[in-house]
Amino acid sequence: MAEPAYTVASDSETTGEEKLSATFSETAIGIDIGTSQCSVAVWNGSQVELLKNTRNQKMMRSYVTFKDENPSGGVSSQLANEQDVLSGAAIFNMKRLIGRVDTDPVVHSSKSLPFLVQTLGIGVRPLIAALVNNVWRSTTPEEVVAIFLVELKAMAEIRLKRPIKNVVLTIPASFSRFQLTRIERACAMAGLHVLRLMPEPTAVALLYAQQNASQNTNTGSEKIALIFNMGAGYCDVAVTATAGGVSQIKALAGSAIGGEDLLQNMMRHLLPDSESLLTSCGLDDIKSVGLLRVATQEAIHSLSSQTNVQVDVDLGNGTKICKVVDRGEFEEVNQDVFDKCASLIIQCLHDAKVDTEDVSDVIVVGGCSYIPKIKSLVMSTCKKQELYKGMNPLEAAVSGAALEGAVASGLSDPFGSLDLLTIQATPLAIGIRADGNNFVPIIPRSTTMPAQKDLIFTTAHDNQAEALIIVYEGEGKKVEENHLLGYFKITGIPLAPKGVPEIRVILDIDASSVLRVLAGVLMPGSHQPVNPVMGVRMPTVDDGHGWCAEALNRVYGSTLDLVTVQRKI
Amino acid sequence: MSVSAVSISQFSLPKAFQVEDHFTAISKPIWRWRRQGCPASRFRCGKREAWKMKATNMGKNYYELLGVSVDSNAQKIKQAYRNLQKKYHPDVAGQEGHEYTLKLNEAYKVLMRENLRKEYDASIGEMRGNYSSSSLGRTSSWNGPLRPQGLFVDENACIGCRECVHHASSTFIFDEALGCARVKLQYGDDEQKIEVSVDSCPVNCIHWVENEELPVLEFLIQPQPKEGFGIFGGGWERPANVFMAAKSFNKQTHNENHGRNSRASTVEEEETPAQAKARADASRKINMEAASGLFSRFWQWQNKPFWGEKEE
Repeated sequence: MAEPAYTVASDSETTGEEKLSATFSETAIGIDIGTSQCSVAVWNGSQVELLKNTRNQKMMRSYVTFKDENPSGGVSSQLANEQDVLSGAAIFNMKRLIGRVDTDPVVHSSKSLPFLVQTLGIGVRPLIAALVNNVWRSTTPEEVVAIFLVELKAMAEIRLKRPIKNVVLTIPASFSRFQLTRIERACAMAGLHVLRLMPEPTAVALLYAQQNASQNTNTGSEKIALIFNMGAGYCDVAVTATAGGVSQIKALAGSAIGGEDLLQNMMRHLLPDSESLLTSCGLDDIKSVGLLRVATQEAIHSLSSQTNVQVDVDLGNGTKICKVVDRGEFEEVNQDVFDKCASLIIQCLHDAKVDTEDVSDVIVVGGCSYIPKIKSLVMSTCKKQELYKGMNPLEAAVSGAALEGAVASGLSDPFGSLDLLTIQATPLAIGIRADGNNFVPIIPRSTTMPAQKDLIFTTAHDNQAEALIIVYEGEGKKVEENHLLGYFKITGIPLAPKGVPEIRVILDIDASSVLRVLAGVLMPGSHQPVNPVMGVRMPTVDDGHGWCAEALNRVYGSTLDLVTVQRKI
Repeated sequence: MSVSAVSISQFSLPKAFQVEDHFTAISKPIWRWRRQGCPASRFRCGKREAWKMKATNMGKNYYELLGVSVDSNAQKIKQAYRNLQKKYHPDVAGQEGHEYTLKLNEAYKVLMRENLRKEYDASIGEMRGNYSSSSLGRTSSWNGPLRPQGLFVDENACIGCRECVHHASSTFIFDEALGCARVKLQYGDDEQKIEVSVDSCPVNCIHWVENEELPVLEFLIQPQPKEGFGIFGGGWERPANVFMAAKSFNKQTHNENHGRNSRASTVEEEETPAQAKARADASRKINMEAASGLFSRFWQWQNKPFWGEKEE
C-alpha cells in the first residue's frame, strides 16, 4: 500500500498510538516558525545542522505574498526590496493570529499591519485578506502557515535528498491547546506529520542539556538554568533542571508580547496617529504604514548597537518624519513590555520554587535578545552578572527541536550525544467550570507530563440528572478569562439530593501532550460508575468557539452546574 | 486531593490503566538474562505470577518504584528518577511507558517535597517498622530500576573469601566485624561482573532471590542479641537457615494480615520490631529442630523448592 501523501489531524479520536506508530522510520526535522523568521534544522548523524535555502540563508522571513495565482513564501521567492513585502499583498505575523478569535486583544493590535485584519468582535475568526490587483483576497492564518511550511518542506527535501514527513515544531509556551490544533492543521495541510510540538524554551533547554552532557559526561550534578526567549511575537520563560542529558522543565511561563509590541509602541511614538492611517484601507495608506514600519524596525535594530538613531522617512501622504530617537526614549515607551517580561521571569522562578542564587546559567535567546534593555533586565531580575554564552540566540530553539526530532525518531548516537530527554511540564492549568462561574483547575500549570489528575464534583441541585463538563485552559479565576477547550454532558445521574452523587473528572495528558477528559458518576458506597464513563479528547471546539460558552449559558443557565467536593487532604 | 490511580481503575477504562502489564513487560528481559546467566542457582522463592501480582502493590511504594532506599537523600532520588525516566519515558519507550511514567512522576513529586514525604512515610511506616528501620545500613539499596530479583548473601555460609567483593566491588562489601560479605547495592555493577562474582563464590552462598523476599531475608540474617542466663548464652545469633526462617516469617505475616483484613473495622495494629523479632526467633527455633547440617539442608532446599515452582 502506498503511503498517504499526508495525514490529517482529525478533530475527533486520533489516538496516541496512531500518532506514534508512523514515527520511527526517519529522522524528524526541527522547524522553528517564528513570527518574523523561520528556520529548519536536522540531526545529520553527528550534530545539528541548519538547512540553508537557495540564497544561502539559514533564517528565512515568515511571510507569504499573494501576487498572482500561486502564493509564494519567504523561503524561495526573491524580494526586490523590503517595501515589496508591504504592498498589501504580503501576509505575515501569522503566528500571532493563528487560533485567535476577534475579541482577542492580540488580534486587535494586529490591525495596524499592512494588510486586512477585520474583526467583528463576536468571538469568531477574524477575516484576513491580502491585496491582490486591488482585490482583497481572503485567507486564513492556517493557510498562510501551511503555504510557508510547504516551501520549507520542499527546501529540506532538496537539501536532504529524501522525502520529509515527520517534524518537530517549536511553539510559544502561551499557546492554548486550541492554537496547537491550528498549527497541527497547518502541518496537515502541508503534508507534514507533527511528531512533537515543543514550547520554544524547552527546545532551548534540550540544547543546553546536550551541551552540558557533552562537557561533563559523568558528573551527576544538577544545574538549574533560566531560559528567556523573546522573539517578534511571543515571550517565553522556562526554568529547567539539567543533569546527565535529562532536562526537567520545572516551570513555564509565557505571554504574547514581543518585538512586534516594541515596534508598534515605537511607531505610535514616532507618529501618534499611526493607527488612523489604516482606517480607510486604501492602497496609499497601506504603503504609508509599510514605510513607517520598515523605518521603525530599522531604527530599533540600530538602537541595539548605538545609543541614538536618526529616523528620516517620507510616508508619501504629505507626512514626513524627521527625528532623532535615543535609546532612553525607546526604553521609556516600552516600559510596560519590559515590566511584563520581568514579571514573567519572577512568576516562573516562583512556580519552579527556585531562588535566583540556585540558578547557575541564564540563557537569553530569540530576536529580542539583542536589545540591551532586555539583557540587562533579565540579568538584574535573575541577579546575575553575565549571561550564558554557548548558544546562537537565533538558532537555539530550532537546534533543540532538531535534537528532539532525532531523539523522538529513536536515533541513538555512538558518542552519547543523543542520550537526551526532556521532561515537559504543562504551561497552563487545565480544569473545568464549577462553583458557579469559577474555573477549577484540575491539572495546575507546571505539572510534569505525562500527568493524570482527578477531582470529584457533585451536583448543584436536587434531583439533577445531567451535568455539563466544560473544560478550560488558563490561569484566570473566572472561566471567561480562560481558553475554552470543549464541553460535553453527563447524563443519567441517579436522582438524589444535591451533593450526593460523585462526579469524578479525570484529566490525562500523555507525553505527546494529548489531553483526554474522562468523567463518570459514582454513587456513595459504590466503586463502579453508574453509566459508562465519558472519554473525550480535547480540544473539541472549532473556530467560532468564542460563542460557545455564551450559548451554553443561554440555553442551560445554571441548571446543569457542578460544585466541587471539599476533601480533607 | 490524595486520590490516586488506584481509584481510577475502578472505572473500567481502556488498557491504559493496567499497571501490572507494564511491570511485567519491563521485567522480562531481566528474567531472561538471569536464567541464561546463572544456570547454577536454580532455586527461586516464587514464580512469575506471584511477582506480577505483587507488582500492583509495589506501585504503591514509591521508594521501591524509584529503586532507592528509604533513607535516600533528595540527590539520590533525583538521580534515580532521571535514570528511570531515560528508560521509560514515552519519548524513549513509546506509549507503553505512559502509565509507568505517571507513577514515577507521582512518586517523585511526593518524595521531593519534605512535607509530602513525611506524610507518605507515615502512611507506609508499618512496612518499614517491620524490618528496614531497625536495620539501617545493613540492608541493600537499589541501583537503577526495580527488578524482580535481587542478590542475597547467606552470611551463615559465607567463608569470607572476598571473591565477590573483588569481582563486583560496587555491589558487595565485606563486613570486617562479622567476617562475611554482604550486598550493599543491588545491581551496583554491570551484569557481567555480577554474574562472575556469583559464580566465583566457592560455597555458592550468593543467591538470586525474589524481590519481595529480600527485605525479610536481610532482616533475618542480621545477628540479633541473644538473651543470656547468667554466664550462659548471651552474645549474638542468627537463624541457621535464613530461608526457612523467612518462609515461616512470611507465613505468619500473611496469616496476620489475613486476620486483620477480616476484621475490617478494627484499627490496624502496627507490628513493632520487637514482635517481628519474637516471631523470627520462634520460627528459628522450629527450624533448628528440623535442621541438622547446614549444607545438606541447603541442597535439599535447592532440589525441592517450597513455593510450588513451576517448570517452564
